[in-house]
Amino acid sequence: MEITRRDLLQKITTGGAVIAVGGAVSAATLTGIAHAEEAKLSPQAVGMLYDATRCIGCQTCVVACTKANDLTPDIRRDQLHQGPGDLNSYTKTIIKLYKSTDGKEFSYVKQQCMHCIDPACAAACMFGGLKKDAKTGAVTWNGSLCVGCRYCEIACPFNVPKFGWEGFNPKIVKCEFCKERLAKGEQPACTEVCPKKAVIFGPREELMKEAKLRIAANPGKYFENRVYGEREAGGTQVLYLSHVAFDKLGLPQPGDESVPHKYLKWQKRLYSYLVLPAGLYAVLVGSIRKNWKGHEEHMEEEEKATGLRPQL
Amino acid sequence: MNDTWQRDVPVFNVPIWTRPFKVLCGLAGLGLILVAYREVVGLGPASGMNDAYAWGIWKTFNTMVLTGLGSGAFAIGIAAWLFRRNQLHVVMRTALLTSFLAYVFGLAMLGVDVGRPWNFYWIVAPWRWNLHSPLLEVAVCMSIYATIPLFVENIPPALEYIYQQWPKLRPIVKQVEKCFVKAFPWIVSLAYVLPAMHQSSLGALMLLGGNRVSPLWQTPFLPLLYVWAAAFLGFAFVSATLLFCGVMWKRPLDVDILGEMSRINAWLIGTWLVFRIADLSIRGQIVAAFRPNVDAVLFWAEMALMAAAFWFQRNPAVRRSPRKMFYGALLATVGGILYRFDPTTTAFQPKANAIYFPSVIEILISVGFMSLGILIFIFLAKILAILPAPNKLWHEMESRRVNPRLKPLTASPRVEGYVAGD
Repeated sequence: MEITRRDLLQKITTGGAVIAVGGAVSAATLTGIAHAEEAKLSPQAVGMLYDATRCIGCQTCVVACTKANDLTPDIRRDQLHQGPGDLNSYTKTIIKLYKSTDGKEFSYVKQQCMHCIDPACAAACMFGGLKKDAKTGAVTWNGSLCVGCRYCEIACPFNVPKFGWEGFNPKIVKCEFCKERLAKGEQPACTEVCPKKAVIFGPREELMKEAKLRIAANPGKYFENRVYGEREAGGTQVLYLSHVAFDKLGLPQPGDESVPHKYLKWQKRLYSYLVLPAGLYAVLVGSIRKNWKGHEEHMEEEEKATGLRPQL
Repeated sequence: MNDTWQRDVPVFNVPIWTRPFKVLCGLAGLGLILVAYREVVGLGPASGMNDAYAWGIWKTFNTMVLTGLGSGAFAIGIAAWLFRRNQLHVVMRTALLTSFLAYVFGLAMLGVDVGRPWNFYWIVAPWRWNLHSPLLEVAVCMSIYATIPLFVENIPPALEYIYQQWPKLRPIVKQVEKCFVKAFPWIVSLAYVLPAMHQSSLGALMLLGGNRVSPLWQTPFLPLLYVWAAAFLGFAFVSATLLFCGVMWKRPLDVDILGEMSRINAWLIGTWLVFRIADLSIRGQIVAAFRPNVDAVLFWAEMALMAAAFWFQRNPAVRRSPRKMFYGALLATVGGILYRFDPTTTAFQPKANAIYFPSVIEILISVGFMSLGILIFIFLAKILAILPAPNKLWHEMESRRVNPRLKPLTASPRVEGYVAGD
């Protein structure tokens, strides 16, 4: 292709315009939004505190959860067993036993949704099928908005949401803090029935105070003298105290920053109000319309030379 | 001697109903029957997906990888329209059709994969959109891209067919074409913004996998690397398609245009490799490539393929040989597929000791949809002017239309009973 001076000038001006407009738009977008905000929790937000040193592994909470949530027992293996190996679409909470190989160290651990302050599942969800309640902070599922894409399972740093693999009307199953019971002013089934008060329910702030009081009263009793869930993944509404290392109990180490904040802040900035895509579109239309004219002239010349209809 | 590609010409001298075509029909039919089975019994019995690996190959391969191969219209279009590589216009129809089919079947696989597809109608309700979800971004942009710009850009070959077959309709076709010419710059521009958005968001999907994705792949620049990979995958896949079809249907090859595509592809790959290695080094994760595990092996396989594709295609001697260019395009395609597939599956460890391997039904459905795409491409390439050729092939087609028994003018010997692909 020969480049005439006119062509070159045109290229330079187009290129300059592209860079100028693109630069201005991106600068405006990126500085306009000061920074991706940290999620804030309402003062009424509720929570659970699980103290592994108090749990006797009786599984009363598991039974109560199954009843309160109308879950069918998980008897998939041979119609006799109900004991699942992990959370699944029949199991919203589970008690596991950790035992070291020499048998000297052991602990029970209760697992369920952590109800993150900035939940990754809700950030991933396309139409808001998973949503954080503005008041209680419970992360709940709405079947009429869920497409069943299972992105929540990919995104959750605690591997909590579970999809019903059988049948044509599958659901996403996870602890929702017994939302119907909360609405009636009751507490979740598991915390209500716990005979040892190993898992208790209340406003998150008060549970945090309680947990810190326990640590202060028994220094050295609890692992690292800290509360799991205070900062994990940006903070969770379910809190843990344990005498055994948290990772031995199968509690993940997702870091202190919430997953959406850590990984989606640039995504959020680039797409805020769709300013950047719209700017890009405008620039493209401008330069392609310019190039289109030359292409049309070229097609006409070809038609004259060959007698064949031009092809779009 | 080089045959200059001047315009797109149907593959008029090959029968449609060949043996490979029948095999593809069989595979596609089997896949569709199995889809019905999947819809009845649910995802669990039909697939190898489980509570740890909630995504299987339908999403991670058919949607997330194959739409990368379908980025030819995006990448070549930008080169042709924005950077005025005018000689590439002639391969645009091939790029547009492969892209359209890759996207349509990528979206169809998404529909088969999701558990509650009836709720997908919220896609038309923007107030329900969670704009921060990369998957929403992918779903919205892909749907718009496939149904508006890609669909519209694929209409001209059909109009041309109508123009030829039904002379009475010619005035109407001319009118419609005039409208198209007016609308095209607007639509074409949309066809570059949308893929840039969703191809990068495909990379952003795995960002939310956090530290459960191997550090060899997990990076804030995943979206950029993904969209760049889409660019070279698009070029490589369209090159490979053109070369394969050219050899299979004995059509003249334009070494200049194919060489130009190879050259651009080499530099796209080279830039991508620089990004990739710079990103690993800056994050200090290059050491992860020297740990004795599967991730490292796959990383080096990917690197080797990409480096070979770069080294091979940047060599001017290679760009004179169709066979070598085909190998180059193939290397880039396989390397790019590996790069885009790994972080979703092999390098994603949601839980210790969890494994996923696709079930037979899962694989057959995936293969079925790919077969459906390929057979539609073959069918349309034989009916419509999709594949590029010299003008003389067009004249030959016209004269054969008048006298079907005419001996071919070009050097494309057609033996009775010859089966394409044999």
